[in-house]
Amino acid sequence: MNTDGRSLRILPKLNPQAPPNFITPGKKIHESHDVSTFLVSKAYMDIMTFLLQLNRSMFPSKLPNGKFQDWPLHSDAVQFSAPVRQLQGLLGRVEDIITEVPPDSGPRRFGNISFRKWHQVLTDRASELLREFLPADLLEMRSPNSEHPSAEVELKAYFLGSWGSGQRLDYGTGHELSFLAFLGAIWKLGGFPQSADGVEERAIVLGVIEPYLELVRTLIKTYTLEPAGSHGVWGLDDHSFLPYIFGSAQLSPAIHEADLTPEEGSLPGAPDPGDVVKPSCVEKERKVNLYFSAIGFIYDVKKGPFWEHSPMLYDISGIRTGWGKINKGMVKMYNAEVLSKFPVVQHLPFGALFSWDRDPNAVTPVASVHSTSGPQTRSVQPENEAPSTTVRPNTDASTRAPWASTEANPPSRARPTVALAGSRHEPPSFTSTLPNTSRLPPGPMAPTRAPQAPTMRRSPPGGDGPTKAPWAK
Amino acid sequence: MSDLDRAIEQLRACRLIPESQVRELCYKARELLIEEGNVVSVDAPVTICGDIHGQFHDLMELFRVGGDVPDTNYLFMGDFVDRGFYSLESFLLLLCLKVRYPDRITLIRGNHESRQITTVYGFYDECIRKYGSANVWRYCCEVFDYLALGAIVLGASSELEPTGPPIVNETQSSMPLDDDELETEVLNSRGEVTMSTYRPRNRSSSDSSDTSRNISPPRDISAAPGQTAGAPLRAGAPGTGASSDGNGSATTTRTGAVLCVHGGLSPLIDSVDKIRLIDRKQEVPHEGAMCDLLWSDPDEIEGWGLSPRGAGFLFGGDIVKQFNHLNGLSLVARAHQLVMEGYKEMFDGGIVTVWSAPNYCYRCGNVAAILELGEDTSNGGTIARSNGEYGRSNGVLGSNAATTVVSPGRRYRVFEAAAQDTRGMPAKKPVADYFL
Repeated sequence: MNTDGRSLRILPKLNPQAPPNFITPGKKIHESHDVSTFLVSKAYMDIMTFLLQLNRSMFPSKLPNGKFQDWPLHSDAVQFSAPVRQLQGLLGRVEDIITEVPPDSGPRRFGNISFRKWHQVLTDRASELLREFLPADLLEMRSPNSEHPSAEVELKAYFLGSWGSGQRLDYGTGHELSFLAFLGAIWKLGGFPQSADGVEERAIVLGVIEPYLELVRTLIKTYTLEPAGSHGVWGLDDHSFLPYIFGSAQLSPAIHEADLTPEEGSLPGAPDPGDVVKPSCVEKERKVNLYFSAIGFIYDVKKGPFWEHSPMLYDISGIRTGWGKINKGMVKMYNAEVLSKFPVVQHLPFGALFSWDRDPNAVTPVASVHSTSGPQTRSVQPENEAPSTTVRPNTDASTRAPWASTEANPPSRARPTVALAGSRHEPPSFTSTLPNTSRLPPGPMAPTRAPQAPTMRRSPPGGDGPTKAPWAK
Repeated sequence: MSDLDRAIEQLRACRLIPESQVRELCYKARELLIEEGNVVSVDAPVTICGDIHGQFHDLMELFRVGGDVPDTNYLFMGDFVDRGFYSLESFLLLLCLKVRYPDRITLIRGNHESRQITTVYGFYDECIRKYGSANVWRYCCEVFDYLALGAIVLGASSELEPTGPPIVNETQSSMPLDDDELETEVLNSRGEVTMSTYRPRNRSSSDSSDTSRNISPPRDISAAPGQTAGAPLRAGAPGTGASSDGNGSATTTRTGAVLCVHGGLSPLIDSVDKIRLIDRKQEVPHEGAMCDLLWSDPDEIEGWGLSPRGAGFLFGGDIVKQFNHLNGLSLVARAHQLVMEGYKEMFDGGIVTVWSAPNYCYRCGNVAAILELGEDTSNGGTIARSNGEYGRSNGVLGSNAATTVVSPGRRYRVFEAAAQDTRGMPAKKPVADYFL
C-alpha cells in the first residue's frame, strides 16, 4: 500500500467461474486515427498496467536492516514459480527449432530466407507447444454454454506475434509488445500464482522476459533479421525497448513496498549511465543488468563509434539525475514511440483478454493529436511548415512500412508529456496529452518501405501482378 | 579562396557550414538543377555510385578509392540522406561540389530525397539536432524537388584497359584468349584486381557468343538470327536518337547507352523520352511514373509484380530486356537495394545494382562498390548527342531488326567501411523531452 492510501494498480485477473467469450483476436487498428481509439481502450489500460507492474517489481527493495536487495539477472534471490519454469521450457523448445532450420548459406540480400521456414515450423507447432507447457484448464477456459472458442485462440495469437515477421524477415518492438501481451494474457487467466510485493512479476521479468530477449537476439543473429522499422542511427535501438525499461529499474534507488516509484537517483554502487561507452563496463554489466545486456548486443552487432551508431543512447548516458530519471523517461518514451505509433501497434490483435472496448475511466486524448496520423491519400508536408521544432526521439518500432498502411506524417508539436500512469499509482489510462507519435518507423535497413497505402493502389499492367510478386500483400 | 571553396574544405573535414551559407548554397543549387532535364546526359568516363545514406566517412573513402572531384567524373544515384549520422555533411558536401563543378558531378534523386521519407527515416531529426530548427531541412527538401530523375551515360567503351594481372586466379575469372577484350574487372580498395571477365573481340551479330547479349526481347520471334546480319543498324551514339549509319558500313555491334536511375523501371514508362515528359519539380508522389523510377526493384519474376515496399513495382528480366532493346540501352544502372557484394548484375547483365554504403547501418557487414565506365576513344572521342530526340529511329529499324548491343566495359571498385579510429567522441547533446 502506498503512503497516499491508493493501492498500486495491478492487472486484474479474470474470474475463472465466469470467463468472457473468447474470440480469435482480430485486427482493429486499420488507420492511424484508430490509434487514438486504442489509447482509450481496455487493452491499452491492461498493457500499460502490466508493464508498469513489471517495471516496479524490478526496483531494488529496501530491507528492514537498512540495506537493500537488488534484482540482478540470474539472482539467487528470485525464485521461479512452476508456471515460469514451464515458460522457460517453452522458450527452450522454440529455440530448438533453430537447429532444425539452419540458416540458408546461399546468396542473399540481408535477411536470411530460412527464417521464413523457421517461422512456419513454429506456427505449425504452436498449439502443440502451448498444450505442452501451459495448463489445460487455462487453455481450455471458455464461457459456459457458448459456442465461442477457448482461451487458447487468444494466447496463441499473441504467442505467434512475438517472433518477428517471416514474410519481411524482420523483428521489432511490435513483436516484443506481442510477447508482453502473451504474458499479460496468461496473467489475466490466472496462470501465475498470487504473490506479494512483486515476487511473481520479478520472476516473469528475470525468468521469462530475459530469456525471451536472449532468444530473440539469437534469432536476429542467426537469420540476420532486419530491424522492423529502423530510423537508422536516430532510433533508440534497432529491435527492442523493454530491456531499457526493466534494466534502468534494476539500477534505480531501492524502495519500500509503500514508496512511490522513484523518478530520479540511482542505487548506490550502480554503474554510471555514461559507462555504456566503455566496452569493459558493458561486458561486466551485461551479465547482471537488462539495460546493459541490450547495449552489449548493440556492441555485438554494430561496428563503429557508439555515439555515432547510437546517438540517442549516447545522449541518455549523459543524464546526471540517475537511473530513476532514465527509467521514467523510458516508460514515457515507450508509451509514445511504441504504444502510440500506428506502424507498431497496428499489428496487435484484440479479443476478449485485450479488449478493444473503451475503458470507462479513460480520458479522451486531444482529438487532433492522432487524427492527422492515419493513412491518408496524401500526406505531404505542408510546403513551409516544419513538422516540429522539438527534438523528437524516435524508436524504431514498427513491424511495417512507413507509408504502407499508414502515413508518414509530420509529428505534431505536442510535447511528449504523457502521464506516467501506474507508476504514479494512478490509472494508467490518462493519455490526455499524448504526443503525436505517428512518425512511421521506416522499413528495415534494407528496403525502405513506402509510407503510403497498405494495399496496392493499382494493378500493374500485364495483369499478372499479384501472383508474380512473391512478397506482395 | 572563394566562400564555396572554403565551404567545401570545411565540409570535407566533416564540419557543418552556417545556416545562412546552407541557404545560399541551396539557392544556387536550385538555379543550377532547374536547368537540367529530367534525364541528364553524361559522357563517359564516369564513375557511378549508389546509396550513401549519410555515411560521410565512407563517402570520403569512396573518393579516395574512386578519385577526387573534379579529377573523376561522378554520378550519384540518390539516397544521400537518412539513417546515417552524417546525412547533412554528406549531402551538403555533394551539393557544394555540384555547384562548384557542375559538369563533373551529377546528382539524381533517390526515394529518400523527399519530405515525407526524411521525416520518418532520420534526416529531419538530424537537421533539428544539428541546427536547432527545421530551416536547413526545408532548404534541402527544396533542392530535392529539383534533382534529376535519371541520367543517360553516353560514349562508354566496350572494353576496359586492363589494370594489371589479377592478384588471385579465381575460378570465376575467365582466362583471356589472344584477341579477347576485357569486359569486367573487380578491384579492391588497394586497386588490386580480384576478378576479371573477357569476351571475344570482333564478333559479329551472327555468331553471338555466350558473353555477348542480344537484347532483343525474348518473345520477339520475328527476329530470326539469319535476318539480323544484313539488317540496318544504328551506329550513332546510343541513347541519343542519332541513328544514321554514320560509318557507312554495316557495323554490327556498338556500345549501348546506360540509363541510371535510383530504383528502376515503371510500367508507365516504355521509353526514356517518357521520363522527360514528367513534371518532376515536386515532392515524390505516392504513385505514378516518377514514384516508380525511385522505388521499383528488379526481381526474379516475369513481368510486373507488386512491391513489398508499398511503392513502385517489382519488374522481371523480360521487362528489362524489352526496355533496353526499345531504347538502345545496354545497361540499366540503379541503386536502392543493399547488396552484400557492393554490386549485383542481373538478367544477363541487363541491369546492375550499385550500393555504395559499406557496413550499412554499422551492422550489415556488406562491402560497397562504385562502377567505372571508361571512355570510348575509338571514335576520336566525339559523341553524337541529341537530347529529346531519343527513340525516333524505332520506325527505321523495323520490327525485324535485332540489334546486338555490346555492354560497356565495367570496372567495379569494391571498398569497405572507413577506419574508425580517427573519430573523436563528441559532447553529449541534451536528451529528448521524455527524459527532462
